[in-house]
Amino acid sequence: MSAGDLYIPLGATAALAAATALAASIGYLRTRNLRFDSMARAATETLLAFLAAAIVSGCFVIHSVSGKWWTWDARLTAALVCWLLFATCLMLRAAVDDPSRRAAFAAVWSIFAWLDVPLVVATAAWWKPGTALPIEWTGPRLGLLAAMAGGLLIRARMRQAASSHPERAG
Amino acid sequence: MMGFFRQAGVIAAKDLRAELRTKEAINSSLAFALVILLMFSFAFDPLADTTREIAGGLLWIVFAFAGTLVLNRSFARELPNDCLDGLIAAPLSGAALFLGKACASFLLVLGVQLVSLPVFGVFYNVPWTRQFPELLLVLVLGTWGLTVVGTISSALTVNIRLRELMLPMLTYPILFPALLGAMQLTAVLMAGNPIGPGETGWLKMMVGFDVIYTAVSLALVETVLVS
Repeated sequence: MSAGDLYIPLGATAALAAATALAASIGYLRTRNLRFDSMARAATETLLAFLAAAIVSGCFVIHSVSGKWWTWDARLTAALVCWLLFATCLMLRAAVDDPSRRAAFAAVWSIFAWLDVPLVVATAAWWKPGTALPIEWTGPRLGLLAAMAGGLLIRARMRQAASSHPERAG
Repeated sequence: MMGFFRQAGVIAAKDLRAELRTKEAINSSLAFALVILLMFSFAFDPLADTTREIAGGLLWIVFAFAGTLVLNRSFARELPNDCLDGLIAAPLSGAALFLGKACASFLLVLGVQLVSLPVFGVFYNVPWTRQFPELLLVLVLGTWGLTVVGTISSALTVNIRLRELMLPMLTYPILFPALLGAMQLTAVLMAGNPIGPGETGWLKMMVGFDVIYTAVSLALVETVLVS
C-alpha cells in the first residue's frame, strides 16, 4: 500500500462528509432543530480531518514523482482552498455564543462555502493546467473503510455535541 | 419591485452620506493602501521589467486588504445608538438593506481603487491607462464580488467576538476564484495587451461568481439579520 492508494478514498470520504454537512445545514435552516446543527458540526470536523489526510498523502505522491513536497498541483491547491473554506465555518462557530444564532450563521456559511467548491476546482485547473494528480480508483476496500470511519466519527461527535446541550437535545 | 430598489437606494444614500461626512473608513482605507504600496517596493526592485508581470497580483492584494477596512465598517457603523435594531425593525426587507449597503460599500471601495491606481502606476512605472475601459470592467466585476461577500460577512460578524479579525478570515478563502481571475486579467491588461480569447473564460467565471453570490446573499441575509 502506498500513498497513491490513500488520497482518493480519503478525499472521497471528505466529499461525503461535506455533502452531509450541506444537507444538515439546509435541514437546520428549514427546521431549526439543533440536532441538525450537531450533525453539521460533526460532519464539518470529520471533513476537515479527512481532507487534511488526503492533502498530506497527495503531497507524498507529488514528492515521489517530482522530489518536491508542494508543486501547486491543481487538485491539491483546490483541496487546500476548500479546507480553508470549511475551516472558517468552525472558526465562525467558535466566535458566536448563542446556540441558535451560532447554528444559523454556520449553516449560512456552509452553503456559501459549498457554492465556492466547483468554482475553486475549475479555477485551480485553469490556473495550473496539466498538473492535476490522477484520479484512479485504486482502493475500493480502503475507500469503504475510510467512509465507515468517517461515518463513525460523525456519529460520535454528534452525540458529544448533543450531550453538551442536554436541555436542547431533541 | 420598484419599492425594493427605492428602499435599497435610500439605504445606499444614507451610508454614503454618513461616510462622506465622517470619512472614517475611506481615509483609513486610502492610507492603508498607500502604506502597502510603499512596503511592496521594499520586497523587490520596483522599476524592474518583471514587476509588470506581477503587477496584477500586487494590485489586487492591495485592493482586498484596503477593501476589508471599508467593509468592516458597513454594518459596524450601525452599532452605536442601536441603529442596527432600528434598521431591522424598519419596514424594509433584509435583502433591500443588504443591497443598499453593498452598493454603498462598492462605490467607496471603487473610489479607493481609482485613487490608488494612478499612485501604483507612478510608483512602479506601470502603464495602467493603455487598456483602461477593459481594466475598469475587471475592477467593477472583482470589486462587486469583494463587496457582496464582504457585506454578508460584515452582517455575520457585526455582533460576534473578534469582529475585525473574523471578516478577512471569512472573506478571502471564498474570494479565491474571483481574486485569481481578477489577478490574471489585470496582469494581462497591465502588460498593455487586450483581453484575448484565452482570457474570456476568466471574465465569464467572474460574472458567474458575482451572480451566484449576489443571489444567495439576497436570499439568506434575512436569516442572518433576524437570528
